[in-house]
Amino acid sequence: MKIIGLTDKEVESSLRSAGIGMSVAEARSIAKVLNRDPTLTELFCYDAMWSEHCSYKSSRATLKEFMPTEGPNVVLGPQEDAGVVAIDDKWCVVISHESHNHPSQVLPNEGAATGIGGDVRDVNCMGATVVATADPLRFGNPYGPQKNKVRWVAEGVVDGIWQYGNALGVPNLAGDVVFDESFDFNCLVNIVALGIMKKDQIIHSRAPKGAGEKEYDVILIGKPTDASGLGGVTFASEALCEEDEATNRGAVQIPDPFLKNVLFKANDDLFRLVRQEGVEIGFKDLGGGGFTCATSEMGSSAGYGMEIDLDMMHKAGDFPPEVLSIAETQERFLIISPRKLRERILKIYNEDWDLPNVYEGARASVVGKIVTHDRFLAKHKGQIVCDVPIKHLTGGIRYQREEKPRAMSLAEPVVDMPVDMNAVMLKILGSPNIASREYIYRYYDTEVMGNTVIRPGEADAGLIAPVRGEKFGVALAVDSNPFYGRINPYWGGATSVAECLRNVAAIGATPAAITDCLNFGNPEKPEAFWEFREAVKGLSEACKKLWLKGYVNQPIPIVSGNVSFYNECPSGSVAPSPVVACVGTMKDADKAVTMELKAAGDKLFLIGPRYDELGGSEYYKTIFGVTGANVPIVRFELERSMIYAVIDAIDQGLVAACHDISNGGLAATLSEMALTRPAELGLDVDLSNAGGPGMRTDKIMFSESSGFVIEAKARSEAKLAEIIKIYGLEIMEIGSVTKARRILMRNNGSNVVDLDLDEARKVWVEGLAEAMR
Amino acid sequence: MKIAVMQFPGTNCEYECLVSVKEVGMDGEIFRWNRPAAELSVFDGFIVPGGWSYADRIRAGVIASKEPVMDALREEAAKGKPILGICNGFQILVESGLLPGTTCNGKVEMALAQNVMISNKRIVRRGYYVDWVNIKHDAAPRRCSGSFNLSKGELLQIPIAHGEGNLVTMEKSLIQNLNDEGQVVFRYCDSNGRTTPEFPVNVNGSTENIAGICNPEGNVLGMMPHPERAFFAWQLPPHDLRKHQKDAVGTGRRIFESMKRYIEVTA
Amino acid sequence: MSRINLRVWLIIPDAEAATVKNTLIRRMGYGDTLADVKKERLFSIDVDSGNPQELAKAFAKELVNENKESYRAYFDGIKFEAGYVPVKVALKIEDGEAISIMYRLRNRLGFQNVRGVEKATVWKLYLKGENPESAAKEIAEGLLINPNKDSYEILGKESSVRVVAAMK
Repeated sequence: MKIIGLTDKEVESSLRSAGIGMSVAEARSIAKVLNRDPTLTELFCYDAMWSEHCSYKSSRATLKEFMPTEGPNVVLGPQEDAGVVAIDDKWCVVISHESHNHPSQVLPNEGAATGIGGDVRDVNCMGATVVATADPLRFGNPYGPQKNKVRWVAEGVVDGIWQYGNALGVPNLAGDVVFDESFDFNCLVNIVALGIMKKDQIIHSRAPKGAGEKEYDVILIGKPTDASGLGGVTFASEALCEEDEATNRGAVQIPDPFLKNVLFKANDDLFRLVRQEGVEIGFKDLGGGGFTCATSEMGSSAGYGMEIDLDMMHKAGDFPPEVLSIAETQERFLIISPRKLRERILKIYNEDWDLPNVYEGARASVVGKIVTHDRFLAKHKGQIVCDVPIKHLTGGIRYQREEKPRAMSLAEPVVDMPVDMNAVMLKILGSPNIASREYIYRYYDTEVMGNTVIRPGEADAGLIAPVRGEKFGVALAVDSNPFYGRINPYWGGATSVAECLRNVAAIGATPAAITDCLNFGNPEKPEAFWEFREAVKGLSEACKKLWLKGYVNQPIPIVSGNVSFYNECPSGSVAPSPVVACVGTMKDADKAVTMELKAAGDKLFLIGPRYDELGGSEYYKTIFGVTGANVPIVRFELERSMIYAVIDAIDQGLVAACHDISNGGLAATLSEMALTRPAELGLDVDLSNAGGPGMRTDKIMFSESSGFVIEAKARSEAKLAEIIKIYGLEIMEIGSVTKARRILMRNNGSNVVDLDLDEARKVWVEGLAEAMR
Repeated sequence: MKIAVMQFPGTNCEYECLVSVKEVGMDGEIFRWNRPAAELSVFDGFIVPGGWSYADRIRAGVIASKEPVMDALREEAAKGKPILGICNGFQILVESGLLPGTTCNGKVEMALAQNVMISNKRIVRRGYYVDWVNIKHDAAPRRCSGSFNLSKGELLQIPIAHGEGNLVTMEKSLIQNLNDEGQVVFRYCDSNGRTTPEFPVNVNGSTENIAGICNPEGNVLGMMPHPERAFFAWQLPPHDLRKHQKDAVGTGRRIFESMKRYIEVTA
Repeated sequence: MSRINLRVWLIIPDAEAATVKNTLIRRMGYGDTLADVKKERLFSIDVDSGNPQELAKAFAKELVNENKESYRAYFDGIKFEAGYVPVKVALKIEDGEAISIMYRLRNRLGFQNVRGVEKATVWKLYLKGENPESAAKEIAEGLLINPNKDSYEILGKESSVRVVAAMK
């Protein structure tokens, strides 16, 4: 494509008409480095590699500035496809966290399914067995002006997730759903995938040492390359608006969990083969940026070049080289392996697992070799279509974006306390953001693999015992509150981390690491970039101050993540959404506790004082339609102590049930403990001691300040109080579990809430179904 | 005593089934669909596990039912060896004519159709559904290989996960015959054993709450619920008191123990 | 009352049709008679008012996934090309998906003029030999349907279809 000698306007016009998204300056810089006009294929390759999605060009500097990524348990930080954290001396957990927001807004089913499909590949390609997924989802207002579209998106996304995950055979262990107007035109579909593997069996996504000198094979496996998903990456980095949706549809990929299921099993045979032979290979999935991204990064990160013959790829038709290079055909992996293994590797895929008969056109093909020179060189029909310095291609570019605080006028509302608190409670329990998530998770296969100990809906985090013969458990939870993020992105980031850690602690697991998926608006707008920076600061600060248990001053490491910008349309951007996933471990999975009430007569305790923190709360939003200003903040030392105390108390077997306090405050937390299956017991709670002096009853009930409610096992109360005290905390006895099936809350001698359990449960169970139907 | 756990492309419960086989003291291995079918004859019993064989293309189970290994499995079934089909495995056995198997000519006599959840005569939900359910053993003890050790009326708590488990048939006398011959092995019920025809007790709309059936000879059992996911006590839901009891086991274990006992007795 | 038929086919490779072809040839002995298998979805929508052309477009927006599918609308009758035997397979038990589509069109999208929806799969069997229709019949009964829940019909060049999900 001609660039040199043309005006900016001319270059701009030929880039756009070719479907290339890069800026004119970027195109010129490429021509300058090549010292000639780049080919169309080269421009497409650069366009994919330098996209926001692949290169983190706006975010990288900020992430590097603030985020703690190291720790004594970190085996591999956020450098490759997934992070790796040690469980013990032998076993590791592998975790990846991705977004698939824009595609899911346009084609919810395929978009969300591809989100799962891509994320599990990231984990599998490290050599791990994928053992769990989680799905933090954000949708628009199901009762607002966009309700038809919102419900269409929500339904399609949930279908896409279960259809892919269930068929693949990986249990969905955790997730959350939040509805808010800011997601009316931009849903968020974040996916977390968790794997398990032995520490000494990690396979890296780069060419092994010596690969260039010995000219290792480059082997492409999986689905035949087609044109689907062409431009998917560049599309994920541009703001979306309604009119674009039709033209954008061509950018979505078509996933196939069935082929993936077979590929995973074939990959296991590959891993076994290389272990037997004692050789090192490189292995990587093909995701954003397609073939070019996987190949060039594998070579470049090892300091090698690469020679590719696009004619040797298996493909679904005769496509031009630029399509073959960057198409995002799903269900593909890339192997870099010594030639002596070539025949055996091809046999695994093409004969043992019979890929060509499992999926038409699928197979393993040798497509090129690793070399010692520093070029990324691709041939097509005998012509060289790409010949660029590999480091330049993979190096990407950096932008220092401007930031400017978003101007907001926030105030705490002046509202009277409602007279009928029963009605208030029912309204809150039925709100789509508080109601039981059961309507969704009954679609998800939470049981497959037979590892599940605690499933969605039973506690704040899911738990699996992934290795037979080992007692350890791995916990997973996700969190982010867009309402806090909108008011204050810094505390939005910090509370995401704190709540996610609390979720994991509430079942008795110890937080080991987090991942983040940072969903924001257009970074070229200073306000959006400010929100991003603030959220990253808050999130990082929380990690640094909340420490790995057992260490002092040792941050919770952030081992994997993703940045998704441009989640906006002309009417505005999504609420700042730094979505966090926390993986926790426990030595003995049998010690884990769930949140439903266990035995009448057991005492209920509160830890975590109530503050006047109702900004962004469910109470303000649902009852008064206001936002407020006082978002919950994280009191780092208090938070840390609470989390540690809960973990210790559960470990010592003192806790019958535990649930953290978050959306909907203490009142919702208590209710949920009674409403969760089997829902056979009630509770009787006195709020008098729960709040500070003079705190209004409704604020005590609905403040979203962090904390926990604990049901102590009979005769364990004193011991529990002792542990709480060790951490310098106040424990408050607030009531007890009752045989009467009522939710009873009193304050200063009078009944504030007195609800029949069945009546409350009906509202709570149906709230989400109503919103999604 | 060696069990082949069948593996078709898309099967996804073979590993946990193999764990269950081994836990009850049987030997076993995973048998890939494209292995020579003749190799099946050395095994003493077979499990066709759950999953999405061939992506449920056309309808669940039908493509796998045409594989050469299924012809071999028919021959092994005719020898009286036990076969346990779970979920998609049940669907495969139905499509291959092995179940209910009353006409012996491989005729497909029933279908496992799309779930329909009906409550108060209203359809409240459709499609894929995952939950723990209660099933009642409705056959006589020793009637069926996979429930050999179970007494009549025994309850199992066990999870389901399927979109097509709703037993329907156009054969007028089939259900009557199954009842008369004691071929209805499991029915969905509540925690007291009552087989209320409505959701959530009848979780998928299946005719007469049927959750599992055997062939007339009793050696082939197909069931929608997953016993391998209710094998260990720790897999149980939290409100099941056995979850944390020392030495407790999951009720699904009884299925695998039955298979073992059946092989011992018939050997 | 008029009937809108939407024939919908994939513009990306159809993995299901490929599996059917593979099974018929490799596992069921049709190597000599079967040249190819293609598949379409068929929606038949009854409306009691409105401009059928415009409605067809609106329904297609809802039912056709433009990222991977293309469609053609027919009014009242329906035509198939020469060269293959079209085998229509539909549920003979209640079709929940068709009912859901009807309610979605009526309630969520406001097309109160929709009176009934039928959904079917049309398998297009490209057959060699003397009597393609009887081979198609054999294939339908041997693989494409389970008679306990599905019905099939070999469609002529012009056919009309029965409605199962209809407003009561």
